[in-house]
Amino acid sequence: MRETIFIFGVNHRETPVAVRERLAYPEGDIVAALARLKQAAPAINEVALISTCNRVEIMGVTEVSDRAHAEATAFLADDRSVDATAFATSLYRHEARAAVRHLFRVGASLDSMVVGEPQILGQLKNAYAQAAEAGTAGLVLHRAFHKAFSVAKRVRKATLIGHGSVSVSSAAVGLAGKIFDTLADKTVLLIGAGQMAELTARNLKRLGIQSLLITSRTFDNAVALARKLDGTAVPFDGFQPYLKLADIVIGSISAARPVIGPDEFEGVIRERRYRPVLLIDLGVPRNFDDQLNSMENVYLYDIDDLSAVVEESIGDREREAEKAESIVSLEVESFLKWLDGLELVPAIRDIRSSVEQLRELELERHRAWLMSLAPGERERIESLTRGLVNKLLHRILSGIRDGRADGADGVFAAEIARRLLSADLAAESGPSQDVAPNLLDDNALDYDFGEDDEF
Amino acid sequence: MNIYWLTAALACYALSATGFAMERAGLRGRLSQWASPLLGGGAALQTGDLFMRGIQAGNIPVTDFGQALVFLAWLTAIAGLVLIVRFHMPVIGVYVGPIVIVALGIGASTMSHARIVMPQSLRSAWLPVHVTFALLGYALFVLAAIVSLVYLVYERRLKTKRPLLPTDSRTPSLEKLDRINYRLLGWGFLMLSLAIVTGALWADATWGHFWSWDPAESWTLIIWFLYAGLLESRLAVGWRGRRAATLTIAVFTVLVGSFVGVSLLATGKHGGNFG
Repeated sequence: MRETIFIFGVNHRETPVAVRERLAYPEGDIVAALARLKQAAPAINEVALISTCNRVEIMGVTEVSDRAHAEATAFLADDRSVDATAFATSLYRHEARAAVRHLFRVGASLDSMVVGEPQILGQLKNAYAQAAEAGTAGLVLHRAFHKAFSVAKRVRKATLIGHGSVSVSSAAVGLAGKIFDTLADKTVLLIGAGQMAELTARNLKRLGIQSLLITSRTFDNAVALARKLDGTAVPFDGFQPYLKLADIVIGSISAARPVIGPDEFEGVIRERRYRPVLLIDLGVPRNFDDQLNSMENVYLYDIDDLSAVVEESIGDREREAEKAESIVSLEVESFLKWLDGLELVPAIRDIRSSVEQLRELELERHRAWLMSLAPGERERIESLTRGLVNKLLHRILSGIRDGRADGADGVFAAEIARRLLSADLAAESGPSQDVAPNLLDDNALDYDFGEDDEF
Repeated sequence: MNIYWLTAALACYALSATGFAMERAGLRGRLSQWASPLLGGGAALQTGDLFMRGIQAGNIPVTDFGQALVFLAWLTAIAGLVLIVRFHMPVIGVYVGPIVIVALGIGASTMSHARIVMPQSLRSAWLPVHVTFALLGYALFVLAAIVSLVYLVYERRLKTKRPLLPTDSRTPSLEKLDRINYRLLGWGFLMLSLAIVTGALWADATWGHFWSWDPAESWTLIIWFLYAGLLESRLAVGWRGRRAATLTIAVFTVLVGSFVGVSLLATGKHGGNFG
């Protein structure tokens, strides 16, 4: 039977989180789960388990895919104590080309909730490492995963799929990166200690911000957040003097009127000696007067501007995703070609050795005469037979491979060739000359031609 | 013979500029990957040309306006390459290429191809020193103007919140562009100052006086003051960013005007009368 690669599971598109969370495996349990799965599903030869918050997938290699699917589904239901009917309908199942494409798309982050997000590649590498550790990854999975990683790398390099900001807080941080070269020596002032401000501040801290000032109408909130983020709380009534220190000001309080207007900011800019300021206004109604944007070296972005940045980058990523898809298609074909070749390997090996044995047999038959020749002549005959055999082999093997490429069943063709040649061998070596003579007709013709030739 | 070297150099620069423009447009291909090496290749070919003409003349070949332009193109290409590679700023390459091509094209087509007979007064070790300082200063001012232009375009897009190009993720930040502009101005100013000092010393050694108020000297002094003012405004008042970039370009246009004007009017020692 032929081995096929398969992948099935649930992801964020079809299956609600309520089901996904019950199927998901804890990080530490995966190696053990793979061993249990291998035991519960004898139809599966190789297997890996991919479990992230957006997907739970079983990927493997089998010769009987329906049985493998049934066994693995039963295992999943049993092992996670989930009623199979809860997820059976949203389960997708890919085989052969579709499975390889799915794996490559997942690795290249084309199947992610946010296209182009980088975490999935690490998660996939993890899944591979666990399968390798559990000893459930064989030749095909090893190669498939490595190929998936290199496809992901190629996609990252050749497209801009990971570029741009796809959330409001990352858009704000992205803007900081366009204005400032380094964030290590910058100061951030948060006006308002809301959730969005906190998220943005966390992102900025991750990129190197050291100095963080926080003010809030309720001073206790500012103190609490300052403690969480290792910042300094400043009183809301007197935050104005701190403005000149801040390179990035994030406003997120609810106020009927702007808390910073152009008149007071004029002095701040001069005191800052025109060093650039990024004002991020997350408040509705807006916290900063929009005239501030027209001031020199002041960059003001309100919530709509940030949303526009996000939409823009999502659009850009989708355009880039099309380029990525065509890279994936190319790589899928090249992987399948390798896989096909793999199937032919045993037959090709047999064909080669049969033909070589035939050649040796024939030389052996003329041994006495050959020995009477001069060594130089013997060598020439030796190389003549080798050349003939290689030409013949080349025709047969490339015929099989080409036929395969055209959609014919190469394995079948290879098998026929293998049987014909070994039958031929039996006929030559044994006394029963009449074994399947009809089958040999075509081959015999080629062979006789060789024999008639004057050596 | 010379003209082949320069034609090949021009071709390299043109391919390099195309490569940088493709990279900027988000089209990554072989040409965009080779953009920097091609810029370097053009400079290397020019080095060969300068070397051969230098041997022929017995000193660096900068005796007329065309030759000076060719030399300036060479220095700009090299300094531009350093800037692009050292600070990862392929966006600069989009502008460096065309400017180098224009300077080299005009220079190569107007310079004298006759066998150069170096006037006695120029056969001096002062010549390469003085001219290299002066033209290197100019090359750095060319780059400062380019960086300022990039700054202004990019700043305008950020300010008006116009959608950024996907390739903008590789454009240097405003802060970095501003700092590089400042550094280029500083180094350019230093080179210009050294050119003035070495020129004066050379004049004193040859003619017995430091300064003769020939047009090039006067204009250079004006330009020196303008750049000094530009640096002063940043250090003392803190003018930076948009205002600094605008002023850099303004002063640079004065520089271009004086360089072309003085050279074309061709008076005084810098205009070819070396008496």
